[in-house]
Amino acid sequence: MQIKVEGLKYTYSPKTPFEKVALDDISFTINEGDTIGIIGSTGSGKSTLCQHFNALIRISHGKIFVGDMELHSKKLDLGVLRKTVGMLFQYPEYQLFADTVKDDVEFGPLNFGMPKEEVGELAKYALELTGLDFDAVKDKSPFELSGGQKRRAAIAGVIASRPEILVLDEPTAGLDPQGKKEILDLVKKLKESYVKTVIMISHNMDEIAEYCNRVIVLNDSKLIYDTTPRELFSNPEKLKETGLEVPHVVAISSMLKEGGIDLGETPLTKEEFISLLTRRLKCEK
Amino acid sequence: MEMQTENKNIVIEIQSLSYDYRNAEGEPIARGVRNVTLNIAKGEFCVLLGHNGSGKSTLAKLLNGFLLPDEGSVKVNGIDTTDEKRIYDIRSKIGMVFQNPDNQMVASIIEDDLAFGPENLGVPREEIETRITWALETVNMSEHRHRSPNKLSGGQKQRIAIASVLSMLPEVLVLDESTAMLDPKGRAEVMETALRLNKEKGMTVILITHYMDEAIKADKVIVLNEGEVVLTGSPSEVFSQKEIIKKASLELPVATSISLSLREMGYNVDFSLTDKQLAESICKLK
Repeated sequence: MQIKVEGLKYTYSPKTPFEKVALDDISFTINEGDTIGIIGSTGSGKSTLCQHFNALIRISHGKIFVGDMELHSKKLDLGVLRKTVGMLFQYPEYQLFADTVKDDVEFGPLNFGMPKEEVGELAKYALELTGLDFDAVKDKSPFELSGGQKRRAAIAGVIASRPEILVLDEPTAGLDPQGKKEILDLVKKLKESYVKTVIMISHNMDEIAEYCNRVIVLNDSKLIYDTTPRELFSNPEKLKETGLEVPHVVAISSMLKEGGIDLGETPLTKEEFISLLTRRLKCEK
Repeated sequence: MEMQTENKNIVIEIQSLSYDYRNAEGEPIARGVRNVTLNIAKGEFCVLLGHNGSGKSTLAKLLNGFLLPDEGSVKVNGIDTTDEKRIYDIRSKIGMVFQNPDNQMVASIIEDDLAFGPENLGVPREEIETRITWALETVNMSEHRHRSPNKLSGGQKQRIAIASVLSMLPEVLVLDESTAMLDPKGRAEVMETALRLNKEKGMTVILITHYMDEAIKADKVIVLNEGEVVLTGSPSEVFSQKEIIKKASLELPVATSISLSLREMGYNVDFSLTDKQLAESICKLK
């Protein structure tokens, strides 16, 4: 299912002294199968954009198509849309509310009107996909889980309804390095199941470089780049102008270039960096 | 005699400290910290590292008497945190900023939020004005002085939360993952602010973080695992202990990890903490 954004504009508190343009004439397409990163400094419009994808914010100007659903249409079936586009907010563990983990995960699918028997299976499958032991956690209160487990339970609650498109707003914020890696590997794993497309907001450039095949950069409410991570990070100076950083390996290789060692290609991971560097050093010998 | 001069410089003295979380019946239900002995000297920039649930925040809450030790003791400027009569002396010296700035905003206008602390400490009005101006400048938020915090982004709110603590002129600034919600630019600003306060005003800073990039700027890094201190030392000392870092579910700074891999492969690069050190060292190979 393709997502198409055309000329999207959004203004907070219009016609008041607090009026602020959050999105200014945004157009781009997300293809089925993409893991697309949305980056930009705080206040650049990333979250506002993502909240449009399942109509939490209704469109005031412009158009969004999710498959054949028209989000700008008044006749939009919100239930179908929200079942298709799963949304995980920042710090999703704060939204856990039910008495048991199982009830919490089942809440979504039950509200979408799925039959009770099926929902039990969906919840079990979703929890296990996130790496939680269903029998060990199902009767626990969500508040008894550790931080990383809580986030997994929250993700399970979103994916239990089997969304085809998953929107993640800073999914790794506040987690320790291992927790971050676990969540990102989980996202990768989800893409091998029923989740076809992932849209991920992140401030972590190392993460974007390693996990996304495409990236969109918002700056001051405008879309300024729509490209691949390798292309984006091959021009680090331009990116820095927007207040963003580049992955460590990109920063190191641009310093090497200044020092006379050109790696030829822009590395996106530590492994790529080491292999490009050692190849280069061997050539020199 | 030597002991005495050393003690004079110690702001926080932690002796064999243990703490467990307990249920209503007083039975331990979750581990907090175990047998921690640690001194933090005046003017030190300390970073506390550890995976989620390793006891970092528990330790922070034990520093100003939010939590009291099961065993052992915590002394701030020689005052024991169990000394009820002097608990406010301790709390006025230790400024805490937490993870979520929304939880620590008290006023509807930013300057009122900054005034709340010093007003409660009985600071004269003119002095409060001066402090607000200074604190907002320090976090680069001066133009928001008369606005409401609810219109700010997460990163901006966190800078206000830090300013509100600064307005009480604490001796020790504890930042409990206060950079977790910020973008790289905001994070760099907060880090730069903390470093400047430390270097220029001699403020003791204890920074709890998951970012190794922040840890490499510390004077001292303390690594917690399962409630125990497993490593203490300078960033180079700590990050050269690859195995212990891994066992504590942490990771090495990217430059360190690459420099160690290259060394294992037989390249003569220096052990590096920063991207710059690594790049310079690789350039010397030519």
